[in-house]
Amino acid sequence: MNSVQGKRKWEPYVWLLPSFALIAVFVVFPILIVFKLSVSEISQAGVIGDFVGLQNFRDAVKLPAFKTVMLNTLWWVLSVVGLSTILGFIVAMVLNQKFRGRKIARAILVFPWATSLVIQASVWNYIIKFEYGSLNNVLLNLGIINQAINWRSSYTVEFIWECGVGIFVTVPFVAFCVLSGLQSIDGTLYEAATVDGAGFWDKLWKITLPLVRPSLTVSTVLNIIYVFNSFPIVYTMTKGAPAHKTDTMITYLYMLSFYERKKGPATALSVIGFLILCVCAGVYMLGVMRKEEEL
Amino acid sequence: MKSPELKGRNRRALALLLLGLILALILMSLPLYSFNAAVYTKKSSNTFVGDEKYQSARAEVEEKAEGFRAQGFDVEINETVTERVNSKGETTSLIAFTIDQKLSRSLFAFWRTALPAGHVFRAMLLCALGSALCAALGLRGSEELLPKYLDGRSRVLRSAAGVLALIALLLVPVFVMMNNYAFGRALGLYSQELLTEGKEALYQRVDRFLFDGGAGENIDAALKGLSVRHSGMLWLLLPAFALMLLCAVQIRHAAIESTLLRGLLYVFVTVMCVVVLYPYYVMLVTAFRSNAETLDMYFLHMFPTKWIWSNLSDIVHRGVPRYLLNSVFVAGGATLLAMLCGIPAAYAMARMNFAGKKAFLGFVIMSQMFSPVVLLIGISQLMNTLHLNDSVVGLMLVNAAFNQAFAVWLLRGTFVSISPEMEQAALIDGCGTVSALVRVLLPMAAPGIVTALIFVFINAWNEYTISTVLISTASNRPITVGITQFSSFNMIEWQYLFAASLLATIPVVILFMSIEKHLTAGLTSGGVKG
Repeated sequence: MNSVQGKRKWEPYVWLLPSFALIAVFVVFPILIVFKLSVSEISQAGVIGDFVGLQNFRDAVKLPAFKTVMLNTLWWVLSVVGLSTILGFIVAMVLNQKFRGRKIARAILVFPWATSLVIQASVWNYIIKFEYGSLNNVLLNLGIINQAINWRSSYTVEFIWECGVGIFVTVPFVAFCVLSGLQSIDGTLYEAATVDGAGFWDKLWKITLPLVRPSLTVSTVLNIIYVFNSFPIVYTMTKGAPAHKTDTMITYLYMLSFYERKKGPATALSVIGFLILCVCAGVYMLGVMRKEEEL
Repeated sequence: MKSPELKGRNRRALALLLLGLILALILMSLPLYSFNAAVYTKKSSNTFVGDEKYQSARAEVEEKAEGFRAQGFDVEINETVTERVNSKGETTSLIAFTIDQKLSRSLFAFWRTALPAGHVFRAMLLCALGSALCAALGLRGSEELLPKYLDGRSRVLRSAAGVLALIALLLVPVFVMMNNYAFGRALGLYSQELLTEGKEALYQRVDRFLFDGGAGENIDAALKGLSVRHSGMLWLLLPAFALMLLCAVQIRHAAIESTLLRGLLYVFVTVMCVVVLYPYYVMLVTAFRSNAETLDMYFLHMFPTKWIWSNLSDIVHRGVPRYLLNSVFVAGGATLLAMLCGIPAAYAMARMNFAGKKAFLGFVIMSQMFSPVVLLIGISQLMNTLHLNDSVVGLMLVNAAFNQAFAVWLLRGTFVSISPEMEQAALIDGCGTVSALVRVLLPMAAPGIVTALIFVFINAWNEYTISTVLISTASNRPITVGITQFSSFNMIEWQYLFAASLLATIPVVILFMSIEKHLTAGLTSGGVKG
């Protein structure tokens, strides 16, 4: 509105101020604190000392569990994001069909997204208990197995379960993102393709995928960030046990900082995580900004 | 419209369907199940094969076996030798003689039993017969009609034929797998007297089924040595019923391919819904079990034997209402604050031009990228400085800040989609910018605002990590942290954990479902996730 702009140039900034202040104090400020801490000496009690350069980072890399935790994080992000994107895409394709009960199916799909992760993780924790878990109970009742199976026989298996729960809670998000993309596709495109003799796969590769790519990109990048940051699943199901073998970076830095009182390496890890996120965020912003220009 | 060609096709389909039924019936009457039951066991210790003691024991067992044979049973004697070296270094051996009775039964034998598998078998057989009957009746008098010209009765009957065939098909694997379960596990449990109710009646039925009542009082021993094997031939029931299903589909729809795709679609959606709802089923049934039942490894039932409603009143005394109240306060306050800060910002972004607009947009999106977890240490330090750690208000502020991005983003999208003409008219009429916003724009943007409101509320409600770090006093905990008191390291009270979880989940799921439609629209413009 040009009339406003002409009179009072500062007005828009007043409108923005509360939002800006909120973000600055509670998001930007903690970032600065973490950066400052990462290059300071921190005592076990949390007292902040002198500038020590990159000492904390060196300590962090030297931690015995560092390599395992980084590898776990990589597997965690790759498997959860990758598989939930594929599954979510398939689910969205199916839910985009017209059939009776579609509204109910979509409403049900919302459930895992709306439920707190800590609750979701607790339930799965109970489900896969060997001695009294629900999965064994149900499978025995249905006669699919003849004796109880130990679903968490090793930490590798437990980690796979954690990834599974991660996928379970992420699929709805991807599905709804893709669904919103699918619904904006003009149906006449498919009709024209059918007239031209295109098969299912032709239509998928040449119409559907290119047109939902923006939604898919948004959901994938956001998922990388959220899955990387995900804390409750691993923390509730295994607490990283045994010996950080199932920890991801986020749960590990929580353990380091609030249980083992190694604040120094923990802040260094935070900064490393922050930088990784920055790269993802940068990619995402480039994408969004470009889309914004197109609008 | 009548078509003689269709008449021929329908007749062929019906004939094939009956063929499938006959095949299934033949399979069912073959002796495909074999049972091996030890009807008599004698153990003889300190015995070696061939010595005197062995001979006499053997003779005794032979005599017993003759007795069984005289009753008309097909039995055989098996012996197992176990050798051990005792503490003195001598080798001793234990010989166990068993008289095994071999039995085989056709599937029809299940008809008479009241075992779980018997129910399944009866259902399967009735469905198959019903399917054939419905198909035949559905075709009568309308063989040459295309599906769309059918009258209601034929249509219903033809559909029923397909549905019944499908049920029969799905029951095959259930039936096969249930047998091992029914005999191996259920009976094992009964004989261990873990569940005494109905034991006698069940024994009588099993006795009649397996031994024609011949095992009598030895049934307990017989069941312990029972092993069940089914022939692989049994799986031929699957193609038989599949053939029936295909024929029924052909009869009902005349176009078989698209119907099958449709069926697959429903199968997929059903499986998806079952998987998604499974954890909620677990939460629900566990919340109303007794503590003993939640931890019972032999607990067989899929639902509580007795619904313990007092679990709900128990958690009331364990602080859950307080946690819920805290959550309402944190989430409500965060939502309010996020809106109060977000609406002006979104308005400026949507309606005004100014330097740095893009930079602010970037700033907002950037803040969305950093979930509070990676900044945990920084946030807890900041809260210490502000004296807001361990306080509900601090939690509220952090939640509002980390949801600011989504609020601004979604509101801006909503405002942009509304034409500015109405506000301009209001401005010309002498309204200030603020009253134009409040009186004109906000009512029009209500759906978008409600969506943003609910989404921020749910996010704050479900937040867990920051709360665990910031809150140390029990009375300040939100519900997500509060429920973890039921799962301490050495004792987990699953029933309370899930009862509280249920209370924490139901309201947000309902809220979320109410905005699901709008959320999809919001996602394309921005991108959000809890």
